[in-house]
Amino acid sequence: MPWRRARRKVERPVDVSRSIEESLEEAAEGEEEEDLVELAELDGATIAEAATGEPDPDREPSDLAIKLQNALDAPHREPPRRGLESEAPHRGRLPQSAASVRETTRVKAAAPSESAHAAALPETGVDLEVEAARGLRLKNPVLTASGTFGQGVEYAELIDVSRLGAIVNKGTTPAARPGNPQYRIAETPSGILNSIGLENPGATEVARKYAKAWADLGVSVIVNVAGYSVDDYVYVVHELEGTPAVVAYELNISCPNVKGGMLFGCDPGLAAEVTRAVKAETDLPVIVKLTPNAPDVVAVARACEEAGADGLTAINTVLGMRIDTKRRRPILGTGSGGLSGPAIRPIAVHITYQVAQAVAIPIIGAGGVTNTDDALEFLMAGASAVQVGTATFADPLAPIKVIEGLAAYVGGHGLASIRDVIGVALPPTPEPDD
Amino acid sequence: MILETARVLSTSGIGQLGTVLRIAAPEIAVQARAGQFAHVRPGLSFDPLLRRPYSFNRIDRRAGEIELIVKPLGSGGEWIASRREGDGLDLLGPLGSAFVIHRGTRNLLLVAGGTGIAPMRVLAEQEAPRRNVTLLMGGRSVAHLWPSDLLPPSVEYVTTTEDGSFGVRGRVTDAIGPLLGWADQLCACGPWPMLAALGRLRDAADRAASTYPGRATLLDTQIAVEQHMGCAMGVCRACVVVTAHGNARVCREGPVFPLGEVAFDEGEPATVGVIA
Repeated sequence: MPWRRARRKVERPVDVSRSIEESLEEAAEGEEEEDLVELAELDGATIAEAATGEPDPDREPSDLAIKLQNALDAPHREPPRRGLESEAPHRGRLPQSAASVRETTRVKAAAPSESAHAAALPETGVDLEVEAARGLRLKNPVLTASGTFGQGVEYAELIDVSRLGAIVNKGTTPAARPGNPQYRIAETPSGILNSIGLENPGATEVARKYAKAWADLGVSVIVNVAGYSVDDYVYVVHELEGTPAVVAYELNISCPNVKGGMLFGCDPGLAAEVTRAVKAETDLPVIVKLTPNAPDVVAVARACEEAGADGLTAINTVLGMRIDTKRRRPILGTGSGGLSGPAIRPIAVHITYQVAQAVAIPIIGAGGVTNTDDALEFLMAGASAVQVGTATFADPLAPIKVIEGLAAYVGGHGLASIRDVIGVALPPTPEPDD
Repeated sequence: MILETARVLSTSGIGQLGTVLRIAAPEIAVQARAGQFAHVRPGLSFDPLLRRPYSFNRIDRRAGEIELIVKPLGSGGEWIASRREGDGLDLLGPLGSAFVIHRGTRNLLLVAGGTGIAPMRVLAEQEAPRRNVTLLMGGRSVAHLWPSDLLPPSVEYVTTTEDGSFGVRGRVTDAIGPLLGWADQLCACGPWPMLAALGRLRDAADRAASTYPGRATLLDTQIAVEQHMGCAMGVCRACVVVTAHGNARVCREGPVFPLGEVAFDEGEPATVGVIA
């Protein structure tokens, strides 16, 4: 279709409004790859995007993108060669963009300058290393909370996730789950209520889709494991075993949004049973995520420790509800949901403080961490690491800012390491004689 | 996508539609497409916590500007709507999928309900120099319609109001009939009941003979949808809608979907019914 090229060049050389869509369409219609590339090069938007960063590939209709990918993957096509030496970045853009539509493999360094100048990172040279769970040493104590960071690949478009101590992935169940009815989210004072319902593609699919992406991202992954029976937890761990980036498991025995989800987390005996079963399945550290909705969270924590848990996360969301006063019914499709965000931070700090005095295994604090001072509260209350969760929705840079802030704190206070603040707010340990 | 600290250039109230913010956001503007949205942080604190999604209402790449229609709903919406010239604004975008106008389209029909005008205005400005564009615009009253003097002169427009204060009394679907035979392509954005009504038209066309007026256009319709949203990064799965391919995230796979792929349930988006 030679007319197209001519029209573009002559009629609207700087009109940039439709390049990507048209390019994809043409690919879908089986145009030559050469044409695509040439179109991209002629198009101002492409040049601008090459300068400012990648467009979000997911915005393109997936069927077209897949066709484009197929077109580009076609073995008989060679990359175009003519007159492109000085424009290599543009030439590479379309194929790369299309390939990255497959979320499984999309790994982009969001902050190449940071990656390229690792030595200049604020946390470099500062001892932020912690033992977030028994046998789980992390380079810094800042993790992302399950359900707020997807599989890590999504926010990799904005931040360098390899700077994080670790990520905790979305709750993973044995089989795929479609999740709960709408609405699934509601805002509350300084927080949100959610009732997602553990929507996830299932353990096998998670391992298949994200193993390579996690390795490419250079991030440590703690797999959040959810289920309805002991066998469910064991199955998920079994499916994820051997995945290179996975460094530990976090047992979600406390999801408030699925029937029976909190059962294990509320009963010390059941919590111990599932902990024991998973410990028998894996040599990796096993962390149990506690629910504040348990009648006696300290008893659950003790039971998990006795059953062999290597760490505890405190806490999962707090049960809550909002009513739509116009429609006279709860906003969330399931009625109640899990409250997260700064609203629950005092609850989470208090439980961390209580549990820290009851167990010897490390605790990961979670609940409303938005900044460095919030993280320090948890650390001083006895947590060895923190998870940043809901805050990331408001400020995607929040986890990175906390890492930098903790590094500045260690330097500014003349500490040898961040470990020096862990538990400093706890009451003095009683003398053995007492 | 970009996290950009933008600056408000000017604001203006548009009847009952809301406040239009004209914003200098060069990095986002250069990538933005009709149908995509910006996720706007309502303040610098974490209360209110969630960003608000607003579809681009104008994209000026050369000037590096965008416009958003902001309804002062809730404390976050009120905060954003009350921004004034010179104020900073934390934007995440562009996000989501965009409308795709076919190369061969000669007659483009845009259907907008209420603030659904936002992406339709972008399309109108973008496509008017290239093809015949008609905008069918509906609202509760004349105060809920986009001012015609803020549309390209070559765009023809047809209006409906529920109270009959301007144009055809009724809804956009009461006036769409004669336009369906004319249009080669149809794009729509508006409240769920409007989109569901279009979906019923599409289903009727699907069952009808190939001579049904506008059949091909209806079958090919693209819509932009709304849903309560959390992260807008694709991680929280709060904003899913049910499609022919299962759950789809409005923030990622959407907000633009083929009309025929979105499942409706009595004028509302269908929802996963099982609480297991």
